[in-house]
Amino acid sequence: MKNLILIFISTVLVNNLVLTYFLGICPFLGVSGKLETAFGMGMAVTFVMTLATSISWLIYHFLLERFGLLFLEYVIFILVIASLVQIVEMFIRKFSPSLYQSLGIYLPLITTNCAILGAALFMVTRNYDFLESVVFGFSGGIGFSLVLLIMAGIREEVNYADIPYAFRGAALTLIIAGLLALVFMGFSGLISS
Amino acid sequence: MKEVQASLLVLGLTGFSFSLLLAFLSKKLKVKEDARIEKILSILPGLNCGACGVSGCRVFAQAVVKEGKIFSGCLPAGEGMNKEIAKALGIETSVVKRKSVAVCRCGADDKEKKVSCLYQGPKTCKAADLIGGAIDCLYGCFGFGDCEAVCPPGAITVAKGKVYVDIEKCIGCGKCLPACPSNLFELLPLAENLDTYYYIACNNREKGVNVKKVCSRGCIACGICTKGENSPFYLKDNLAFIEYKKIVENEPLEEAKNKCPTKCIMKFTVHSS
Repeated sequence: MKNLILIFISTVLVNNLVLTYFLGICPFLGVSGKLETAFGMGMAVTFVMTLATSISWLIYHFLLERFGLLFLEYVIFILVIASLVQIVEMFIRKFSPSLYQSLGIYLPLITTNCAILGAALFMVTRNYDFLESVVFGFSGGIGFSLVLLIMAGIREEVNYADIPYAFRGAALTLIIAGLLALVFMGFSGLISS
Repeated sequence: MKEVQASLLVLGLTGFSFSLLLAFLSKKLKVKEDARIEKILSILPGLNCGACGVSGCRVFAQAVVKEGKIFSGCLPAGEGMNKEIAKALGIETSVVKRKSVAVCRCGADDKEKKVSCLYQGPKTCKAADLIGGAIDCLYGCFGFGDCEAVCPPGAITVAKGKVYVDIEKCIGCGKCLPACPSNLFELLPLAENLDTYYYIACNNREKGVNVKKVCSRGCIACGICTKGENSPFYLKDNLAFIEYKKIVENEPLEEAKNKCPTKCIMKFTVHSS
């Protein structure tokens, strides 16, 4: 149990996928314009990441390891993630048309979110067991949503500030992202192993 | 060679099973879209104003197809367009009536509102509200026209710091209500038997002395309008309000409007409903 809590805190704050490993930067910069869409995207990523890590774990251990085909992990993981996103999309479209409308193009974009592939690969290199993988995937998604929401909140406020011409738009967004990453480095001493 | 065979087999089988699953689910979870929805959607003005009572034109079109009748009607579309929708479905149209119109509870223009610090930030009311407003009155209109920008039929105009609502154009959708950081807009219910309506164009909840300091057109809560029998006016938080349910005839209101010392009771007339 203590192990799982440690994984959760470590993945959400200390080793945040976005701000420490710099994975999933594209949606982090692209979808963080508005709080509302950021929240929807965060939830969708959390859902897909949790499922992706757990199913990848099953396939990795029961198929690839058994037949000695570990070099196939990248291809198989991408296959799993892409299919999952498709399934999630179909489910959301059927059962919650309003959520489907608000997520729009971001839903299929999750396929190419490297934070999810990253989470699946980390799960392998860190030798997590099944339960640990599920918690890891979930907390990775929560960490992603947290950072996305913080970023969206800051950007919504910054819109009203009087910014020098050279810093407007992408430049300031990147500076904010860098400062956020610095802030999250402050968590690095939180868990001593 | 064995490895190639094994990897081909594993990858092929996994891919095949996933594609089978996807094919099965896509059949099972297929969402049927009625072709008429798209057709109605192309007729609708596409403002997504929500005046019909549902969230957006697509939902409205779906409901129209599902219910088989135009249950509350699209207001900005007008009668002609509603008839067209009905024709597309092959049904009768019902009469469309708006239930309310929006009024702005600040009737002071640039000359009447006092300004002691010049606000030079971005010209939106939301931005000005972040630093406490652009005028001395803490309750009044800043006049940057956030409401003008959101109004779907373009009924709101801001001129010389004052908001004008074109009552004939207003569809009563209420989009201006959340757009105003000072919450100045109010939906005024339209009654069957009246064509002239009154409202109090002030939102300042300070005492009369303090209102006078910041605006020459503010309600000072003198209570003159509440005098007299059958007066629908009442005072609350140093501000006059009208109890619209109490209105039977317009004479006491007209009288109160003429007596009001700061002239902050306004009226408008609805020609067509």
